Amino acid sequence: MDAVLNALRYLGYVLIFPGFLFCFMTGLLLAGIDRKLVARMQKRVGPPILQPFYDFFKLCGKKTIVPAAANKTVFLLAPLLGLAALVVLQLFIPVFRIQLHLGGASRDVADVIVILYLLLIPAVSIILGGASTGSPYAGVGLSREMVTVLACELPLVLVLLGVGRYVGRDTAGGICFSLNQIVDYQMESGSLITKASLIPAAIAFLLVIPGETGNHPFDAAEAETEICEGMLAEYSGAPLGVFKLSHAIKMLTMTSLFVMLFFGGVGAGVEHLVALMGLTGGAAAAVVTILDILVMVLLCIVVTAVGISLVHAVTARLKIEQIFKYYWTVVSALALLSLVLVWYGL
Amino acid sequence: MSHINLIHLLNPQHFPIFTIMLYFLGAFLIVLFGKNRILRNCIAFIATGLSLTLLILLVKPIMINGGVIAYWMGNRVPAGGYAIGIALEVDALGLFFGLLVATAVFVSCLYSFSYMSEDDNEPQYYTLFLMLAGGVMGLVFSGDLFNMFIMVEILTFAAVALTAFRNRVTGALEAAFKYLVVGCIGSTCILAGTILLYHQAHTLNLAQLGTIIAGNLDKNTIIAFALLFIGFCTKAFIVPFHPLAADAHGAAPAPVSVLISGVLTKSGIYGIIRLAYFLFQLMNLGAVQFWLVFLGSVSMFVCVTMALAQHDFKRLLAFHSISQIGYVLAAVGLSTALGASAGLYHAMNHTLFKGLLFLTAGAVLHETGTTDLGKLGGLSKKMPWTTVLFLIGAASISGIPPFNGFASKWLIYQATYEKAVETGNIGFAFVTIVALVTSTLTLASFVKVTQSVFFGQLPKECEKAKEVSFGMRFAMSILALLCILTGLLPNLVQKYLTQPAAATLFNVNKYINAMLGTGLPESGAAEFKPIGVWNPVNWLMLLMIALLAICIVAIASKYDAVRENKTEKVAAKYSLFYGGEETEFSQVGGGDLFWGFKHNWRHYFSFMHDLHSGIVNDYSLWAVVALALAMVYALIVL
Repeated sequence: MDAVLNALRYLGYVLIFPGFLFCFMTGLLLAGIDRKLVARMQKRVGPPILQPFYDFFKLCGKKTIVPAAANKTVFLLAPLLGLAALVVLQLFIPVFRIQLHLGGASRDVADVIVILYLLLIPAVSIILGGASTGSPYAGVGLSREMVTVLACELPLVLVLLGVGRYVGRDTAGGICFSLNQIVDYQMESGSLITKASLIPAAIAFLLVIPGETGNHPFDAAEAETEICEGMLAEYSGAPLGVFKLSHAIKMLTMTSLFVMLFFGGVGAGVEHLVALMGLTGGAAAAVVTILDILVMVLLCIVVTAVGISLVHAVTARLKIEQIFKYYWTVVSALALLSLVLVWYGL
Repeated sequence: MSHINLIHLLNPQHFPIFTIMLYFLGAFLIVLFGKNRILRNCIAFIATGLSLTLLILLVKPIMINGGVIAYWMGNRVPAGGYAIGIALEVDALGLFFGLLVATAVFVSCLYSFSYMSEDDNEPQYYTLFLMLAGGVMGLVFSGDLFNMFIMVEILTFAAVALTAFRNRVTGALEAAFKYLVVGCIGSTCILAGTILLYHQAHTLNLAQLGTIIAGNLDKNTIIAFALLFIGFCTKAFIVPFHPLAADAHGAAPAPVSVLISGVLTKSGIYGIIRLAYFLFQLMNLGAVQFWLVFLGSVSMFVCVTMALAQHDFKRLLAFHSISQIGYVLAAVGLSTALGASAGLYHAMNHTLFKGLLFLTAGAVLHETGTTDLGKLGGLSKKMPWTTVLFLIGAASISGIPPFNGFASKWLIYQATYEKAVETGNIGFAFVTIVALVTSTLTLASFVKVTQSVFFGQLPKECEKAKEVSFGMRFAMSILALLCILTGLLPNLVQKYLTQPAAATLFNVNKYINAMLGTGLPESGAAEFKPIGVWNPVNWLMLLMIALLAICIVAIASKYDAVRENKTEKVAAKYSLFYGGEETEFSQVGGGDLFWGFKHNWRHYFSFMHDLHSGIVNDYSLWAVVALALAMVYALIVL
């Protein structure tokens, strides 16, 4: 009986919230808002906010053509694997105080360092998909994608180590990598964005977001004007739609990771607000949950606007070696500064 | 009377010597009866299979019940306070490495049956193969220093001969010669160190040496430590001995590469652990910890960058092998319970995934006749099984969850960072960072291999390639399965294998007591406190649900695909034009794939390129310099 209930609960998590359905809606919404914002910043009218939804469904209706040189299984399976891995990853990013029961005594299935590596799976699957087409454009694209991933890795690692050390100071081990505990900590002692020593890390993470999602100006891997979207050059129809969806969901993943790491305590006041409204019991819990989700999505939108759209609107695409240099010098230096400050007790 | 004796032979006490004997006996029997193919294969199979079985039977008494087998040859137990007889001693650490050796040997023996069947001199191959296996097994189980040296000699010469086994291949003799020269420098160091110790302590028994030398160092024993340390470093190919490995792996047949990388390097690591933890008991000193961790981190990083610059499949794998050994050394050097456990875990995984990768490289070589990344491509359509197995191996070594490489690397990240926090030394945090970044660099270079060997365009030369025989696929599948299992069940692996083995490192007196019966006080169980959370089974379950759901939606919504026509139009699509002229097909290939990365590190790469001259004189000089530095450092800090 327990097993059945567990299976049903897992199914609910994966399919509805915070899994597939939620990711689908919010991810594409973020993508739409991003496009609209960039357009407005550049004094264009821009597409309607729901444009990514239209695009997705239209792509799903198109015929899929497998190139003659491609390995068909990998070509078709890679986008699905990437999407599944992203959706599951989203389950491990807590929404303020909503606890998913993902099994075991511990509340976590994966901590921040694991999430860092789970983030590689979607990247690897798009690389595999691109490689399987045998197209030379894909070859160039995957080379650039891999270098971008490499470039982002160092600053991300530095940020996470810094945060882990800061939050873990008072715990027994001296380090804390559990996202749930990081959020709990912020509920009690305020968001990490308000801690002076972690502000450089937050900026570094903000700068990493467009690199990880492959947004402008760090989109050398998909540069439409020179290498025809690189790894996606041979993709068409539904698999292309799935890749586009994955890209949108990755925006959600990265922004919500940022929100959880640095704005984790923002939802703390919601409970008092609900109490003021005179709600109690189940109704209060429901309202708190919905408000929590809303606050998170709102914050994600803000982070998207600042971290992705604004950067997109004011910059031109960088060359791949510039991307690498930028991340391993400027951004890493910021993150390292935070780590050193935290290390010496600030 | 006779049947009582036979029953006595089934006592686990005798199993260690049996495993060593089986390998050597097999080797000699193959010399005698090896002309017949079936008989030869049977002897090799029984020798390797039975050894593995015997060691698995030892898991319960040693790993789970915490026993130690001390075995005196001819029952020459210590008398008059001196342990003179030849002794074997198997504790959890020895058994752990023994299991790794036996597994790798067994699998690569299975693979050899079909892989080597077209070579000349097959009987000699199996003789050398089993000699190498027996040498490493003897080294791991030996209870005295001189026999360790003997076994090092046996395994070095067997490995040299196997490296040059396909001596018609360009570079094979050269590689063997390089290995011979530097390997002999290493062996000589070990002999010299052994002599110095014998001079000081008048015994060669490891346990007794432990009681005499530890805490009682003088200049002679310190020099001996440096000599032995460098000697075992050459066996593990730690920087600066890494170029040898690349040459040796490039030339050796694939199953031999499995032994060199999965077994021989482990013997070096085992030697270093025995030396630093048991013989000299120096690991509580910060200076020695720094020494090991520093060497480990340098090996990690230098070798992964060297691998990125390679354009030969097997040489690339060789450098990665040492890079991963760097992880092991760094983790073991932390001298914490978690670090030791993580390091041993990674040592095990290294044997599994590296073995798998070398075997897939062998399969590619077998079918196409080349391992040059620039000449290969598109093999995934011709060799689907090999591709899948390669991807499993590549994901494991690159530390992609949920494969085993991630499980152990993740423990290493934690162990190094925990050490950093405990000691307040930010230097260890940099080791964590190097380890994390190295892991991604590893992924990058395996993306390169995937793209240029298994995907991309199929060159004309490779069109005849087909899937390898069932025997080879079977051997590879065993390793792939183990890669997945040890990745998904980290708790079981830790509980039954790595933690008992790691615990012995912090309970040296148990080893000494079992051997000499001295009754020294033993320490309690070491404390393991992982800080992170990772539950691979749950993750996999969730992923499966998600993947299944998405696949159902995809199939239901007619995610059907039309294969593009193979007309001449398609060929034109892939044509390349440089300056308006159509040129031959060219991949974005081999060495230049990560231009964006290499451009920024160009000074480093050109420096490394100049440094690795490929001249054996230079590499010998490096060995001598390393020895001198080790001696000076040891004399200063100890």
